[in-house]
Amino acid sequence: MKKIMALLLFPCLNLLADTALDNLKEQLVQQQKIIKILQNKVSLIEKNNAQKQNIELEKKMALNTKDFSSSFSQKDYAPDISMILNMSAVGRSLKNSDYQNFAIPGFIDAGDEDLLFSPDKGFNLNYAEISMHSAVDPYFDAYATFHIRPDSFEVDEAYIITRALSEGFRIKAGKFRSNFGYINEKHNHSWYFSSQPIIYQTIFGQEGIIDTGIQVQYLAPTDTYLMFGIEAMQGANTRSFGDVNNGNSLYVAYLKSSIDIGDDLSVLGGLSIANGKNIYKKETNVYGVDLVLREQLASYSSLVWQSEYLYRDKQNNTPDSDKQAGFYSELIFNYNKDYALGIMYDSITKNKTDLSIYTGLDTNNLNRYTAMVQYKPFEFSRLRLQYTYDKTKIINGERKNISEIMLELNIAAGAHSAHSY
Amino acid sequence: MKKIILLIVLLTNITYASIKIDTTYNVLGAITQEIGGDLVNVKVLANPKYDPHFIVPKPSLISKLRHADLLIMNGGGLEMGWLPPLLKSANNPKIQPGANGFLDMSHFIVLMDKPSSVSRAFGDIHADGNPHYTLDPYTVLIIAKVISKKLEFLDSQNTKTYKKNLKNFLLKWDTYLKNLDSRMSLCKDKKVIQYHELYNYFLKRYNYVSYGDIEPLPGISPSSKHTIKLISLMKKNDVKTILQDSYHERKTAKFIADKTKAIVKIIPHDIGSVDKSDNLEDFYNNIADKLCN
Repeated sequence: MKKIMALLLFPCLNLLADTALDNLKEQLVQQQKIIKILQNKVSLIEKNNAQKQNIELEKKMALNTKDFSSSFSQKDYAPDISMILNMSAVGRSLKNSDYQNFAIPGFIDAGDEDLLFSPDKGFNLNYAEISMHSAVDPYFDAYATFHIRPDSFEVDEAYIITRALSEGFRIKAGKFRSNFGYINEKHNHSWYFSSQPIIYQTIFGQEGIIDTGIQVQYLAPTDTYLMFGIEAMQGANTRSFGDVNNGNSLYVAYLKSSIDIGDDLSVLGGLSIANGKNIYKKETNVYGVDLVLREQLASYSSLVWQSEYLYRDKQNNTPDSDKQAGFYSELIFNYNKDYALGIMYDSITKNKTDLSIYTGLDTNNLNRYTAMVQYKPFEFSRLRLQYTYDKTKIINGERKNISEIMLELNIAAGAHSAHSY
Repeated sequence: MKKIILLIVLLTNITYASIKIDTTYNVLGAITQEIGGDLVNVKVLANPKYDPHFIVPKPSLISKLRHADLLIMNGGGLEMGWLPPLLKSANNPKIQPGANGFLDMSHFIVLMDKPSSVSRAFGDIHADGNPHYTLDPYTVLIIAKVISKKLEFLDSQNTKTYKKNLKNFLLKWDTYLKNLDSRMSLCKDKKVIQYHELYNYFLKRYNYVSYGDIEPLPGISPSSKHTIKLISLMKKNDVKTILQDSYHERKTAKFIADKTKAIVKIIPHDIGSVDKSDNLEDFYNNIADKLCN
């Protein structure tokens, strides 16, 4: 029985095998057909692509054989450029010629100091400023600021700073604003008032300490902000220093620290010293204390209280050195994104020097009151109205109290210059 | 003596063991914490209550940057107004642009509304497109992946942990997104206006239509002329929802609401901007709660 079964199964299996083989062959033929169709399609597409590429190439050739100028285009490497325009309209209770001949007893003799900003009644174009910034390489960033005034061109700042030093160090070299005190490093247009604090004007002149040299700053690895810096500079500032014949003669050192009290109150304080040789080839020491408190009331609303005290000990050709000091204090209320109000008080508190040329004049109570209101229709434009009552000036041999009203317009166009604290 | 030295070495090793990461905003910080777990120490620079474009550059932030091994920023111009001077003063080569410890997240996101031409005459526009992409809960997936890759690169010996954390987080977030999607699919009224174009990514994700902005141009305070135009536009199109952020003035929105019978909704732009938005899920839930009715 088994044999019969086997005999019967054998042809069946054979038959099955035959049909399976036929099936496979059939499939193979079909697959080959599909492959051929696909190959045709591919070659057609390739041909089309080649044609397209040819057309593109033709187009490019037609254009580019005429103009290869973009090959050396480097516009992606262009520095960030910004432009500041600062202008003002001034009303003052004094003739221009008299004002420019001002003296501040014990500090500035008549006609001895230039007025850089808004010297004239009426309209002033104070300056156009061009600022540039770019990374030079992995190790340095470069910054340059040029002041262009109606009658002068000036390199305000031009310096490099390191970007790759470790352990919290940073070196700056070139011509730059010293980080002495608080306001000295800031450009005039980022101040809250259109005029310079009297104590800065009297001790460092209209431009502050801005000089050629080298700066090393160290940021301590603490959770609290603690920064220490030293600077060696040429000493070109003639108001307090100015002995440049024997190489660099000015050294500045400072310590700054800041704490946050809660989320919204921050305090920044600093101690500074500047030591250098003055025009008598004798020593001048200037000590500075600064304090800034900022209470954030809302995103665009804050209260800022900023004060600085400067003390100068300047040796001269007499046995007694000059000992002079003063301070300013300002309170700013940033009401919202658009409006801010501010008041400022300036005072000379110590003036121990030779005042014999002012004999018969009252040289006490040298102080100044300033108030301002500013409107910023946009982040980059600012209109500021400022009133000043100045009791620090001697004009034509007489103590004259000066009232001044100033409308200042400041524009910042181009690359975004971010706000620092 | 040897023991003391050993102890010091051990202690320094422990402090060095965790990677110090600064992120500019809370959403980035929260995702970083999810991926980094115990291996990272995350600090966030911006206070979420305030306008993310104008963070007060407090010196304490400089000290935070001084310590960081990695800085993760939003990018797209959002930090342009406050971060550069802080970074300049932080004296930290590890996190300078171009260094391994600098991560600009916007490079991994396709930004919407990229303007075809750029000028400040159009207000304070962002040349690269709208930078508020973290408002889209789906970008969380991309951000998580990018952060994981960065951490694997910076701290290769812990690659396995980061990969595991990423996997777990992605699973969790996928589930969260499914729930959020099904919930958002039930929302009916999809017409809104907003103060600033802060919420475009969320609105687009869930097919909302924004009919206009309260500010006439980005960064410019509302004007009465523009507000009146907006009111008539809202009336015409029956818009009943005003999306207000936590930091702009609210008078204009209230005025418009009075005239149009619309409802003002204070929507967070970051974790912690408003109450009940204190973690990643609550942040998006908060937006969903307020938008969906």
